[in-house]
Amino acid sequence: MLGKYSKTIVLFTIMVGIIIIMSIFIPDKFLTVINFQSMASQIPEFGLLALAMMIAMMTGGIDLSVVSITNLTGVIAAVILTKLVSPQMGEGLITLIIILAILVAIISSLVCGLLSGVLIAYVGVPPILATLGTMGLFLGIAIVITEGHGITGFPDKFLFIGSGTIWIIPVPFIIFIVCALIVALVLNKTSLGLSIQMLGSNPVASWFAGISNNSILVKTYMISGLLAGISSVIMISRVNSMRPGYGYAYLLTAILVIVLGGVNPSGGFGTITGVVVGVIILQLLQSGFNILAFSPFFKKFIWGFMLLLVMVINFIIAKYQQRSRKLKIHP
Amino acid sequence: MKKKIKRIFSHSEIYLFFIIIIFSIILTSINPSFLTLENLFDLIKSSAGMGILAVGFFIVLLSGGIDVSFTAIAIAGQYISANVLMATGVDNIYLAFLISCSVGILLGAINGLLISVFKLPTLIVTLGTLSAFHGALLAFVGTKAINTAELPDCFKVFGHNNIFVLTRADGTSYGLSVYALILLGVVIMSWLILKYTMLGRGIHAIGGNRDSAVRAGFNIVGIQFFIYCYVGFLAGIMGVMHISLLRYSNPMYIVGTELGVIAAVVLGGARITGGTGSIIGTLLGVVMISILEKNLVLMGLSSYWHQLFVGLIIIISVSITSYQNKRRGIRSLTFR
Repeated sequence: MLGKYSKTIVLFTIMVGIIIIMSIFIPDKFLTVINFQSMASQIPEFGLLALAMMIAMMTGGIDLSVVSITNLTGVIAAVILTKLVSPQMGEGLITLIIILAILVAIISSLVCGLLSGVLIAYVGVPPILATLGTMGLFLGIAIVITEGHGITGFPDKFLFIGSGTIWIIPVPFIIFIVCALIVALVLNKTSLGLSIQMLGSNPVASWFAGISNNSILVKTYMISGLLAGISSVIMISRVNSMRPGYGYAYLLTAILVIVLGGVNPSGGFGTITGVVVGVIILQLLQSGFNILAFSPFFKKFIWGFMLLLVMVINFIIAKYQQRSRKLKIHP
Repeated sequence: MKKKIKRIFSHSEIYLFFIIIIFSIILTSINPSFLTLENLFDLIKSSAGMGILAVGFFIVLLSGGIDVSFTAIAIAGQYISANVLMATGVDNIYLAFLISCSVGILLGAINGLLISVFKLPTLIVTLGTLSAFHGALLAFVGTKAINTAELPDCFKVFGHNNIFVLTRADGTSYGLSVYALILLGVVIMSWLILKYTMLGRGIHAIGGNRDSAVRAGFNIVGIQFFIYCYVGFLAGIMGVMHISLLRYSNPMYIVGTELGVIAAVVLGGARITGGTGSIIGTLLGVVMISILEKNLVLMGLSSYWHQLFVGLIIIISVSITSYQNKRRGIRSLTFR
């Protein structure tokens, strides 16, 4: 039934269903502008990490280092923002330094992704181990730079990225939607994107088809790193501080969200729409749980349980589709 | 004789052994008390738990899978058995082991079910069960830490047991802990299973090439189910050892140390794709990581550098083995 988009339609229905249920049971806290704004400002950090993880998973790999990249680039940007800015500087100079900090963050995230990509493509390290190693390495560098402390106190103009709103929509949300659209464009309409999907689907076949597997893999992990870097800028701007160790809870939930969103962990299949809807569903549940005051441990249990449930359901659906396809051949 | 030496050198584990020796020499030159019997006994006692977890992780890796939930299983077994013992007032260490290992096998069976019957990817399943098990433990059993005063005596006595005791010059004594015996037992049992049973052959086969193993007639579902139950069982053992070592139980402990165990196993030469590796290598890896964790400060690096070091070690060691593998694959024209 509509093949590629059937999973997305199911997800969309689930999302609408959850909104309806929450509107019925906790309308006073749920259906407020503040609640939606709060959700819309929390989605981007996490959503960008989910997109980063998704790109890596599309090639059949995984990128466990996305949170560490966020930490490291966040620390680097924070150091620039605090060490190079003094209160008596002019407006223009401060803006210049903010732009410098963001640029440095972006470039360092690309370098991090480059390292992971080279290890995976040219040295031949399996993605799990390579990104496990780089996860530790990047976090380690971040800890050494900050000596474990946090860095606070960024210029006000910078905070607009994380806490400002254009009309009533929070700025981070706009950034997230723009990034999602760009990634969707790249994935579906450019040769790079199509090569990524083909590589994920069958690496041997794509190699023999003439695709340069190695360079595609490196670019994949660089994109993954880039998205993590953008996420870090939003993250440190929103909380006006940076401390190594932020965001590790996001790692499992990122994987949960993209599997929920229909991405196949073995690679090759997945849609941006599915991932975005998955992120929204997760945020709805998260907000709902907060309103209902669930303990964070119970939430941890629920996320793990949901991941397993979704995968089992996917398995059963796939088996059912296989069987019905066989029945069609032999009427 | 020449042939034998050549054969020993063909194993990659020998290089790790030399690295450990060199490292120990460097450390002893900085701090002469490193290479004393007492320090070695202490090292064995504190790393025995990690060693047991590493053996379990190694067996999963051998079969081509990954299990990151073993830490949650260990702490679950530990916390539940401690609470049960406290609630019922029974003071028997064997009961503690029984409860912990049963919890371990049960949780491992859940992993096994999801992986062998539903054929779900192992990394993601165990990431999910890590979260689910730990979250369930904290949400449903409790979060209250158990301090030394409340802990049943059997744990404290067990932690103190020594196989044999030596006395220092001033009359105080130290000894080789029972932990060494337990570790030895686990290692021998695992080695026997892997080397001398069809089950073990099956584990190697599945890791080497799953399709070939299926066609050779191995019972994939049964073997995989056993593997994850076995890891759970070992985690349960580790849990009790851990609580006896610390004489304290906090349900937030153990979870979070997965990276160190994985680093140790990978350092020991086990390949992530499965089918290759040895228990000796795994143990050497545990020794290396333990020495590093405890003595980085001696070498002048503050504890902040620890994380960076572990990450760097993983990257370097897997790069070497993966690159060798890749060259071998290119030469023999096999594609992954």
